[in-house]
Amino acid sequence: MRGATLAAALLAAALIAAPAQAQREGQPAPPPQAGPALAAELAQPRIAVDTAFTGADLLVFGATDRLLGPSGDNVVVLGLGAPRDVVVRRRVRRLGIWVNGPSARFREVPNYYALAATAPVADLLDEPARRERRLGLELMTARLPGPREPEFRQALIDLKHASGGWNEEASPVEISGGRLFHARLPLPSTIATGDYVVQVMLVRANRIVARQELSFRVDRVGATARIADFSRGQPLLYGLACVVLAALAGWLGSVVFRRG
Amino acid sequence: MPVYLPIAEMSVDAGLLLGIGLGVGWLSGLFGVGGGFLLTPLLILIGIPAPVAVASGANQTLGASVSGLIAQWRRGNVDARMGVVLLVAGLAGSFAGTQLFVLLRRLGQVDLAVSLFYVVVLGTVGALMVRESVRAIFRRRRAAPARTHQHSWLHGLPFKMRFRQSRLYISVIPPALVGFGIGILSAIMGVGGGFMLVPAMIYVLGMPTGTTIGTSLFQVTFVSANVTLLQALQTGSVDVVLTLLLLAGGVAGAQFGAAMGTKLRGEETRALLGLLVLGVAISLLVALVRTPGSLYLLGPVT
Repeated sequence: MRGATLAAALLAAALIAAPAQAQREGQPAPPPQAGPALAAELAQPRIAVDTAFTGADLLVFGATDRLLGPSGDNVVVLGLGAPRDVVVRRRVRRLGIWVNGPSARFREVPNYYALAATAPVADLLDEPARRERRLGLELMTARLPGPREPEFRQALIDLKHASGGWNEEASPVEISGGRLFHARLPLPSTIATGDYVVQVMLVRANRIVARQELSFRVDRVGATARIADFSRGQPLLYGLACVVLAALAGWLGSVVFRRG
Repeated sequence: MPVYLPIAEMSVDAGLLLGIGLGVGWLSGLFGVGGGFLLTPLLILIGIPAPVAVASGANQTLGASVSGLIAQWRRGNVDARMGVVLLVAGLAGSFAGTQLFVLLRRLGQVDLAVSLFYVVVLGTVGALMVRESVRAIFRRRRAAPARTHQHSWLHGLPFKMRFRQSRLYISVIPPALVGFGIGILSAIMGVGGGFMLVPAMIYVLGMPTGTTIGTSLFQVTFVSANVTLLQALQTGSVDVVLTLLLLAGGVAGAQFGAAMGTKLRGEETRALLGLLVLGVAISLLVALVRTPGSLYLLGPVT
């Protein structure tokens, strides 16, 4: 199924690329506005979280008007989740027991972060440009509003990285046929529902020359969605249903296993 | 087989949950404890968020104790009158305990308070039970006559009531105090309180071990139903899929546990429960003292 999605995506990418190519062939002297320099798309605008959901890979694909690769242009893909407030606590030893010690509160922390590129981002763009676009976990966390202590920021990176919510350059953006590219952003099974943004950037000569912003949603579907909606919309009825279901399961068990 | 939990918002292996349910349910049927003091830490250990673990643990405790209660009821081991007295006092106690919990949270370090509470209460209860039951086993070996319970000032109190199944004629004040005290503790520690109730009924009220298990299950059933409802209303963190998976293993385990419990002598059951409670206390103490793997943790925004 994954292979079929990829094939369809690449076909779509080729179709996107075709007009740009055609336009350029028609005019011998290519003017700068000839077709879009970058066209990108997501394989799924909506990630459905059902009872069998164990995480997913979001396929980002697209095409550029010039050749990609070490000697040509490069593509950087950045996925971002909704900003949230986060508290990082440090454990300290008091009277031989580990207790929660000082804490640092960071605001507007993206709950999801994924960075991928055709080449190491540090080689593509200089630091001010990377800082502005939040390309790199260290540069991104350094910008977060909150206390200045670097150890808390490093701890935030380590904890988010360990939970699978943040990753940077875990796998590169793949190039095929010179102008087509695709990347897979890993979405962990613990991913929060809501709106997400994917920024696709075209880098040429250490500058971002084109940028496209795509968005996708993570939604619960089927039984998962119904249970979550019911528990939120009718908490009293949901609680009563939980009580009755648990009691029924207990009764059923005592009947089934009576002789066992 | 992985399954996605709608409220916990994560995917867990269903077989793992069935296994945990089976093990905890077995202990629940054997000792008449809800198993919350084991289940909640286990769920947190496999990565379930703490509020969901506490709330769904209470819901699973309800199902497991209903199953155990039916099994014990058939054996005539439930003193319903004693159960009602304990329950009414216990609900009042858990209301008072909730207020105390709010106060502790305002003072900060509520996590530490709960952990220390666990270590102290479990350690004391476990050590006392092991000591007493080992003595009882040795006394039986020497074939010395054992008294069912001592007469103390507790038996001079007014409002006497007859508890037929427990073969007791005592004042309602001691059971009411026991229920109230355990209500407070269970609200703070987030557990049903069976592991404290069983020893309290044996040592303070002088009930026979067989009856205490059924009666404790009676009380735990209603307390956990109350906790499930309150959690669903206030925190919305009861995960019914998690609960039912735990129960699928749990109800089977509870029946095997109850069947095995009838083969064990009272003092042997008490010694095993004492060892289990002591073991949990020691492991919690080790967790408090040992240097943690990561010095930092992500906390909820308060």
